[in-house]
Amino acid sequence: MVSPRTWRNLRRELRGSALAKIGIVLVLAIILVAVFAPFLAPYDPYQQDLGNSQVPPLGFSTTENETRSEMVNGSIEVVEEEVTVNATLAHPLGTDALGRDMLSRTIYGARTSLLVGVFGTMLAVLIGVTVGLTAGYYGGRVDDGLMRMSDIMLAFPSLVLAIALIGLFGGVTIRIPDPFVVLGLAPEMPPNIVLPGTVVLVVALVNWVWFARVARGEALSLRNEEYVKAARALGASDGSIVARHILPNSITPILVLATIQVAAIILLESSLSYLGFSGANLSWGLDIAQGRDYLASAWWIASIPGVAIVFAVIGVNLVGDWLRDALDPGIEGEGGV
Amino acid sequence: MDEILRVRDLKTRFFTEEGQVNAVESVSFDVRDGEIFGIVGESGSGKSVTALSVIDLIESPGRVTGGEVWYRNADLADEFREKRSEAVDGDFVDLRRLPKGVRRSLRGPSFSMVFQDPMSSLNPSITVGEQIAEAVEVQRRARANPRSTRSRTQGYGLGKYLVDSIVPGREYTSTESKERAIELLEQVGIPDPEARAEEYPHQFSGGMLQRAMIAQALAGEPDILVADEPTTALDVTIQAQILNLLRDLQREQDMSIIMITHDLGVIARMCDRVGVMYAGQIVERGTLGDIFENPVHPYTEGLLGSIPDLEDPSPRLSPIEGNVPSLLDSEMGGRCYFADRCPNAMEACLNSIPEYDTDSGEVVGDGANAEAVHTARCVLATREFDAAEALGDDYFGDRAEASDPETPDDAAEQEVVSDA
Amino acid sequence: MSFARFIIKRSLQGIFVVWGVVTVVFLLRFSTPGDPITFIAPLDASPELRQRIAEELGLNQPLYVQYFDYLTGLLTGDMGYSYISGTEAATRIFARVPATVELAVAATVVAIVISIPLGVISATRRHEPADYAATTFSLAGISTPNFWLGIMLVLVFAVQLNFLPTSRRPVGIVQAVEVLVLSGNYAGIVLWLQHITLPAITLGTYFTALVTRLTRSGMLDELGKSYVDAARAKGLPETLVRYKHALRNTLIPVITVLGLQLGTLIGGAVITEAVFAWPGLGTLVINSINTRDWPLIQGCLIVIGSSFVFVNIAVDALYAYVNPQVVYD
Repeated sequence: MVSPRTWRNLRRELRGSALAKIGIVLVLAIILVAVFAPFLAPYDPYQQDLGNSQVPPLGFSTTENETRSEMVNGSIEVVEEEVTVNATLAHPLGTDALGRDMLSRTIYGARTSLLVGVFGTMLAVLIGVTVGLTAGYYGGRVDDGLMRMSDIMLAFPSLVLAIALIGLFGGVTIRIPDPFVVLGLAPEMPPNIVLPGTVVLVVALVNWVWFARVARGEALSLRNEEYVKAARALGASDGSIVARHILPNSITPILVLATIQVAAIILLESSLSYLGFSGANLSWGLDIAQGRDYLASAWWIASIPGVAIVFAVIGVNLVGDWLRDALDPGIEGEGGV
Repeated sequence: MDEILRVRDLKTRFFTEEGQVNAVESVSFDVRDGEIFGIVGESGSGKSVTALSVIDLIESPGRVTGGEVWYRNADLADEFREKRSEAVDGDFVDLRRLPKGVRRSLRGPSFSMVFQDPMSSLNPSITVGEQIAEAVEVQRRARANPRSTRSRTQGYGLGKYLVDSIVPGREYTSTESKERAIELLEQVGIPDPEARAEEYPHQFSGGMLQRAMIAQALAGEPDILVADEPTTALDVTIQAQILNLLRDLQREQDMSIIMITHDLGVIARMCDRVGVMYAGQIVERGTLGDIFENPVHPYTEGLLGSIPDLEDPSPRLSPIEGNVPSLLDSEMGGRCYFADRCPNAMEACLNSIPEYDTDSGEVVGDGANAEAVHTARCVLATREFDAAEALGDDYFGDRAEASDPETPDDAAEQEVVSDA
Repeated sequence: MSFARFIIKRSLQGIFVVWGVVTVVFLLRFSTPGDPITFIAPLDASPELRQRIAEELGLNQPLYVQYFDYLTGLLTGDMGYSYISGTEAATRIFARVPATVELAVAATVVAIVISIPLGVISATRRHEPADYAATTFSLAGISTPNFWLGIMLVLVFAVQLNFLPTSRRPVGIVQAVEVLVLSGNYAGIVLWLQHITLPAITLGTYFTALVTRLTRSGMLDELGKSYVDAARAKGLPETLVRYKHALRNTLIPVITVLGLQLGTLIGGAVITEAVFAWPGLGTLVINSINTRDWPLIQGCLIVIGSSFVFVNIAVDALYAYVNPQVVYD
């Protein structure tokens, strides 16, 4: 499946490309942050502290003029007073409008993005590759049916379709116990990982078509190869021919496409969360939406999670470019959000 | 006959990730008025790069790093005699020492080129007639306003391109140049040229397309036409037609042709004088007769041995064993590059070999013997083979090892780079 | 096959796809949980009232009758009535179309005007600072969620610098131009420009970045091809070699990718509209989903889906027009 030649190409491409190295570092960093979130986050990301709301990040202490009425010598006077909100080491990235620690929320947000990105892509690959290989291998009516269906699917912009499906079916979330908390390693952290189940399903439903098209193309070109004909002549079943000969040869383009799709799905998830459709209560997109209302007084609430998204997506895109350049599967970077 | 081009000690390097590739290593040759000079060699020997270096079309990561390209042009010589005396020698100018803009302006009226694969050498999305008309138009504008290189462009930039693509009738070419393009198509033997001028390259057959390519190269009425494997991509029956066409045109227009090929048959049929290239060097040059009847260099002999001789069918051809070396600077030692494949390699071959005049046995250098007719980079030009000094068969290691199976990719890329 | 037949064939295929879109959208309503009556009727409505509402809206008919009614309605431009406001769905939807078209066109224009020169510069000055700047920009551009970019633009240009409005759409371009032509007053145009600038940049950035990337890599490919050497060898000036020869062939595949990315443009428009309170189809579809206003949801999805299909056909036609090698099949 992964030949020594493939490894050599990957290594060679990596050696020559600083961007690929940056991409790998970014992706590894995000994965580590997501996995070890309970140890890295200084606070429970849900824990509110209204007395400490809108604390600015380090280096951005704010000073504001605040007016209040006061009784001075029996009459009411309006007193203007400078109020300084100091940044504090306790909250290096500040706090949001409810006093929740931004650093902790950003760290935990990586889990949501990554889970949706990875599970959503895996589900899309599963559906798409199954349908695509079937259509490409059998051809004929099955194939025609699939192509018409994918035309119709593609007529809906994926974000619009995702909004429609999720808005109508509602945002169902799945709670997975956090193993670190269960084991008592990080007792003060939230006990569950909240996976927005509908979002995973929906992003897979709107993205499987791309995988189906690639898998179909590979199957179409491979089914007439001599060795496939030979296997058929020897009486191998369709299932084993697909599994042994066609699937392994389709891996490369699907891997590259999947990487690109992880980035697209992370962006899609953040958009859905921003619009309030995901049902998740901890997501970079959701924090941006909440920070939107405090742009004038607390710019960091909307800004910081966005920076996290950009780094995550840049990392995945760079890894995708690296794989594409090294493996050259001959697909364009199609299939965006 | 006078020379129109004197190339001296030309060096072209490619700076790749694997290291420096010496694609052209100290190449010298002359091209005379109205002759066809052939450069023959295996693929990867640097013959195409030599031609591209002469007409200044080498691109990054490649660069011409040394040598002189003297071109006879009295007007240019007068223009630069005062300004750049070092670049002028009599009626000759050294192209490498002229400003880039001047060098560029020589493409078309002085030098032009016919490429190997006509299908990829014409723009697929522009009509054939338009592409030839462009070549005519550049020269027309240059003649109308010889001082300004800008007039050739006429402010043709991105904005202009966008406007031209939207507004019909606003094109770079003029009616005049389009008419001339049709004449040129007729001249190279394309039937119904007016209709064919409106067609796109994919509507042409390979042979017709190569004719169109030649028409395009002739548009500027060049002094020197470089033909880089002009028939390799064509059917055998078409090959002869194209060669005849080139020969006829060369006589009609009294131009010189540099014919680059790996095919000794083409050389024998077309050329007046020949240079044999191996590993970036011209290892032997002389008249057609010198090379075919009196070769000195064992490589030349080997090449001749690898074509069947119809008049004297010997039982077997004798191909040259081994492969063209990689040309990587780090792997090129100071020796004759052919020594590892040479049946007559001697101890003297382990030094780097200069060009010798085969008649006098003297070194051809700056000034001295520069006009030598028949030269070879081989010690056999100065002395006889001496079996006592011969290097053993296994001196350079096992020959099979030379083609390292570990790095087929590298070798393939190398070839592409050095043949670009 | 001739160009005209190609277009006719593609249009027929398009109509088939649109019919599929209509059917899928229609079925969507019946596969989602929740009886629409609960959203329409008052909370304390009696069973009789519910029954009456269902009859009025034809919701008690068998599925195929409702489907047939809906299809025949669509052919006459009738998309039913909004459950919430009672107004004609088609009127509401088409009133929103100009705003979205305006935004999408403005973003596309911004993207094309910036990206193609940027891609060309990047390719022709490879490994120079301009190239690094352009590639960094395009990488960041395709990796930035556009709603966040929009908010950051609002933060900088509206909140901090107080230089542009946080948007909404006080005037459409058609009205603004009308005013200019009739009275010579250009205030409307200025107002329009002020309000559309940030949304257009927000929506256009992804495309600018994408097309810059495509143009750069396409130009690099083309400049390495043999016909470019041939064009140089025949004496063509570099500007012609680049723009007339290489760029033309670069843009042909770019057109295809742009067609494939139209869905992204429309999806991006939906969320951009939400960020800037832009009264287009996007905000309408989001509101309708939140209120389960089925006639509006269906209408919006059908309008978006079918315009997508037909714009794609237009892109195919353009592709066939600029590429002489195209085989109509």
